[in-house]
Amino acid sequence: MDEFERELRQALERRPAPPGLKRRLMAQRDANAARRGWHAWLRRAGYGRGWATATAALLLLAMAGGGVRWELDRRQEERRGEAAREQVLTALRITGHALNQVQTRLAEHDRQSEEGGR
Amino acid sequence: MSRRGIAFGLGTLAMAAGMLTAASRAQEGLPLAPAVEKELAAKASDVTEVTLGKNMLDFAAKFMKGNDPDEAQAKKLIQGLKGIYVREYTFDKEGDYSMQQLQQLRAYFETSEWSPIVRERERKSGETTDVLMKVVNGETQGMFILSAQPRELTIVLILGPIRPEDLGELRGIGGLGALGDIGAKEKTKAKVKDGKGGTE
Amino acid sequence: MAQDWQPDFERLVDEHQAMVYSLALRMTGDRGLAEEIAQDTFLELDKHLRSMKSEDHARWWLRRVAMSRATDALRRRRVRGMDLWVALNEQDGVTAEEKSSPLGARLEYLLTTLPEAQRGALILRYQEDMMPEEIAAMLDAPVATVKSNLQRGLKLLRAKALSQLKEFIRGA
Repeated sequence: MDEFERELRQALERRPAPPGLKRRLMAQRDANAARRGWHAWLRRAGYGRGWATATAALLLLAMAGGGVRWELDRRQEERRGEAAREQVLTALRITGHALNQVQTRLAEHDRQSEEGGR
Repeated sequence: MSRRGIAFGLGTLAMAAGMLTAASRAQEGLPLAPAVEKELAAKASDVTEVTLGKNMLDFAAKFMKGNDPDEAQAKKLIQGLKGIYVREYTFDKEGDYSMQQLQQLRAYFETSEWSPIVRERERKSGETTDVLMKVVNGETQGMFILSAQPRELTIVLILGPIRPEDLGELRGIGGLGALGDIGAKEKTKAKVKDGKGGTE
Repeated sequence: MAQDWQPDFERLVDEHQAMVYSLALRMTGDRGLAEEIAQDTFLELDKHLRSMKSEDHARWWLRRVAMSRATDALRRRRVRGMDLWVALNEQDGVTAEEKSSPLGARLEYLLTTLPEAQRGALILRYQEDMMPEEIAAMLDAPVATVKSNLQRGLKLLRAKALSQLKEFIRGA
């Protein structure tokens, strides 16, 4: 492994997961388990497929998952906003790069013009 | 004989050669992607494409960090803009895109509303640079850059009020440093043009 | 002993969340998306928990699913080499000062500009220390293809890093 590869390996050391990921994950897991539990209960209680079951399930789901839903929506909005922000910064970075190239070429032209004029 | 030629048209409404593509403009002013971009993207080893209309720019601005000087400046820069359209294509080897494709790009973007500021052709390396401004009632309402190198093509289209000096202040966002005075260079070159009459 | 090993979900999360998150982050270059992928991956693990035979199996499974979901996410967003990299800062838990070289920070960013297949191979090789044969088995790809992606990816990364360095010097 050469020096560059060693640098790359170091650059790619694992990053810690964001704080709160585990908490959110466990909360979602619990919500999923609760949903599965209610569905199983409904089936055992003799409720088959049909609109009544669906409505009951939805009601239970809404009660159990309302808070989680809002949190997911808010986080989704934040993620979209972050993504949009990143795109803007990317676009401006590329713009700056292009302008730098222009500037470099103009400077080179100046230099050659001056040399030609002597 | 000069190896390079640079033509300038600052302050004049020079009629740029090129087809009018008004029919292909999306309502918000940002163009639809020309067909040639698909060809370029298919051949490129690396592609970056960003298209942001006014709504998206306003939305993004809300998430910019006010305590970061570069982002604060970026936020100030994009306020009032109508759109940003950026394409960057990197190719494995020279010749992966053609002069014809480049000309198609020029013809598509350079309609009569755009005034050429910089047109540079380096015959030896094949590098070309086009910088155009859209001037409406004496005010700059857009900037277009087409930078072609042997293995890289960059298209930048910014619609809305923008000054190159504003861009020069954006330092630290991946290489925007040391821009400084591209605006000043325009004024200098206009004077040079009068004296030297550079041509393509 | 292997037969005594019982999968414990919470412990697996503690043990592997950094790995899963880092894989997703370096593939997509998007923190928010990486977190989403990490969450989905572990929720998927929850469904298959009983089929995990050992610690190694769980690790292999998580890597595979994380990479697969990251690739799917990229395809859904129709991003090719899109630069969505977030600058390293304290929020990531690794400050710029902890990186021993500025090149290291740039390499992480430049990786996101590589073609997907090359990026994936390099991440598995240099983040996870997997050998080409292991990578090939995980991705269901021929070993020769993986080796080629590693070679080409490394070459491209070197070239980009050198080019960045030159630009930086020119602009200084």
